[in-house]
Amino acid sequence: MRAAIQALSLLLFTLLFGLADYRLPDWLPADIYLRLDPLLGLSAIVAGRTWVPRAIWGLALLVATALVGRFFCSYVCPLGAILDFLDPLLFRRVKRRALDADGALRNVKYVVLIVFIAAALAGSSLVYLLDPISLLTRTYTLALFPPFVGLLNLLLDAVRPVADAMRWMNIATLSYTQPVFYMSLLTLLIFAGIIALGRLAPRFWCRYLCPLGALLSLFSPLGRLRRTVGPECPACGACQKACPMGAAMDDGGTRLAECTQCRTCVAACPTDVIAFPASSKMLPVGLSSRPDLSRRTFLYSVAGGVGLGFGVQHSPFTPLQNKQQLIRPPGALPEGDFLATCIRCGECMKSCLTNTLQPTLWEGGLAGLWTPRLDLRFAACEQECNVCGKVCPTQAIRSLDLEEKTHAKLGTAVLKKEMCLVWAQDKLCLICDEVCPYDAIVFRTIDGYRRPFVVASRCNGCGYCEQRCPVEGESAIVVAPIGQIRLRTESYVAEAKKLQLDFKPNPGDDRFIPKSEGLRVEPEPRDDARPQPSMRTPGAAARPPKGFLPEAGDF
Amino acid sequence: MPHEHSRPTRRDFLKTASTGLAAGLVGRSLPLHAAPHPDLAVVSGDPAAAARRAVEALGGMSRFVQTGDRVVLKPNMSFASGPERASNTHPAVVYAVAEMCLAAGAKQVMIVDNPLQTAELCLRRAGVADACKGLKNTYVQMFTDRKFYREIKVPQGKVLDRVEVIKEVLDSQVLICLPQAKSHSNTGISMGIKGLMGLIWDRGSFHGRYNINEALADLATAIRPRLTILDATRALTTGGPGGPGEVVTPNLIIAGTDPVAVDSFGVGVAPWYGQKFQGRQVEHLLAASQHGLGKIDVESLSVLRATA
Repeated sequence: MRAAIQALSLLLFTLLFGLADYRLPDWLPADIYLRLDPLLGLSAIVAGRTWVPRAIWGLALLVATALVGRFFCSYVCPLGAILDFLDPLLFRRVKRRALDADGALRNVKYVVLIVFIAAALAGSSLVYLLDPISLLTRTYTLALFPPFVGLLNLLLDAVRPVADAMRWMNIATLSYTQPVFYMSLLTLLIFAGIIALGRLAPRFWCRYLCPLGALLSLFSPLGRLRRTVGPECPACGACQKACPMGAAMDDGGTRLAECTQCRTCVAACPTDVIAFPASSKMLPVGLSSRPDLSRRTFLYSVAGGVGLGFGVQHSPFTPLQNKQQLIRPPGALPEGDFLATCIRCGECMKSCLTNTLQPTLWEGGLAGLWTPRLDLRFAACEQECNVCGKVCPTQAIRSLDLEEKTHAKLGTAVLKKEMCLVWAQDKLCLICDEVCPYDAIVFRTIDGYRRPFVVASRCNGCGYCEQRCPVEGESAIVVAPIGQIRLRTESYVAEAKKLQLDFKPNPGDDRFIPKSEGLRVEPEPRDDARPQPSMRTPGAAARPPKGFLPEAGDF
Repeated sequence: MPHEHSRPTRRDFLKTASTGLAAGLVGRSLPLHAAPHPDLAVVSGDPAAAARRAVEALGGMSRFVQTGDRVVLKPNMSFASGPERASNTHPAVVYAVAEMCLAAGAKQVMIVDNPLQTAELCLRRAGVADACKGLKNTYVQMFTDRKFYREIKVPQGKVLDRVEVIKEVLDSQVLICLPQAKSHSNTGISMGIKGLMGLIWDRGSFHGRYNINEALADLATAIRPRLTILDATRALTTGGPGGPGEVVTPNLIIAGTDPVAVDSFGVGVAPWYGQKFQGRQVEHLLAASQHGLGKIDVESLSVLRATA
């Protein structure tokens, strides 16, 4: 029964993860597990000094825990489910004795929790490091999703000859775009480590480390479904051995904070004296629930958390004031708020249509670990997609409609003339213009060749030019965060209007005469200072556009 | 005598000529060949109806597609925009042609392109996938993985000696190009021959390594469509290939077996960048005609004009 519910929950989590892509309908909260996690919401609210509407879901879980108990850990938590399902597979033959340091280790999760909350008070988001839902979503995205697609494609490749021969064209032509992520291995190793800890004790992670479990355990003793042991208990110790959380004590008592109501003990008990009756009596708050932390440990944890939170923000790497080269997703809060609010779950990277969203290692300083950034040489930001904000559980990336998202300028393309095929080699190339969705690339004739320019006020930094530039290696046109728009609550459309930016597709780039301001145009030869072809008076001698030869009579 | 063989004698000449004449006369009298096919069919009207009428004028689809053939259609659908922007072929034209191929006995119709924008969005926005949903054995597919391409030699190429082409194109019996008439800021115009670039893997080298106009003419020697149906119901006269730009409505479908002739005629149906041009003025068309790929002077063509 419990295993079934767990499996169902894990399936739902995986399904929602799979559904998180650009087609996601507005009504479907693919990030619901992340929203339900009160720790993530709390950290975002405290560190970001802002209200996160989606965090209200977390409150629901807290209330449910206070009413029922810590059922989340053994029935709902997808990481708990994975640990439970892997445990018999990996550690069946391992004899695990109770750890001597059990008591001390139990406190570690509280220390972790206090450190994270203190860091949040200091303005830093650190909770992502060990929050189970964030960690698992991130692992799914960066470490499990890519090999899954890879395997699927290998399988498809294997059946392709058969499909070809049988003319099953839907299969013969089927291939999924392989997602690629930085930091996959690092993320996988952390996940593997958590699983490996099960070698020492079942659910080692949940017992000793999980900060979400720690938070829930503060409320769970209030729950009405409490474990009771009848007076006939022979104290055989069977329940104590069986309890995966170490909540059953040898004297027949229960550590209510640790009990996740999994009822393993009920099955293990030879005398049927254990029950989980619904009690209407409220336990006095604090009974058996107060973490056994010394005041000293508590204070050290707070100090450590504040120090860590402060240090992370002020490490020499940490780029403040937007003086950094990272291109953030469209709708990302101003950098400081963004770093404080982002919980690094990786949901945005998973759902990103083009795979341009990548995790940051050191490029954003210590505070920027695993935060999303755009790798525009690898892929561009698709103008018809706004899914990253839709799935962001803390709204570090704001959920914007397409119109607003179009105006959330990411940066500005900068042309490197010494690398550009047209500027440096007089080659015929127009790819940046061809792929630009906003007609921000215009051509003007310089030294007898039509050469590209970027019109900064029309460029919203989507990066198609950077991605498609045919120059080998580094692109000859690169999006820099120049002019990026990052707003907490205001409208991007209004802001863009204020800045006189225009991201509407323009009728005809070749008719578009760039204003001289904002463009460095070298003095042109005189015959080029003529009206555009379309405005030319008939009969006037002029060079035809590129690709056309002059009429025979013109020679 | 060596030149006895290389040079026809008067007798040979007369023999051949009279045989030809006789064959022509006999041919004429047969009802099936009552009229020789025109070089081009130029039909105005509703996109789908005009496409059907144009193919009919060329002798019907059964002239190009035999029973059991695998057919590849190459429309322009590599931009995530609808037909109003005129950077993609009108979906109704693609549908009509696919249907004709099936009616002619095609075993399979594969509609392909290598998109410039995200494949899924192009498929949705261009409207071809939706339009062709109801057709049997018809697939609309963007090939964005290199494993679906195979390298071929370009023996007649001047600058291009090999190129990777979508396997399905190489393995099929018939290729029909369904280009959209549009301007192109590099090659002047983009029609049938320029559209062949949507069938190859490495397009970057056309811009970076080669002169694109020469490379296009080379490519056209290696990939030869059996039929080209140019969609000039709308034409993107500026801002091409992706647009947005100025869209005019010549309201024409131009079909023919000669890819150069179709494109060359297409050049004349709209002003490009506000100017009138002839096919001969388009560098890559001129190069293609010099490769012997087709006739570039539209005056010498037999053109059947019709309204659908």
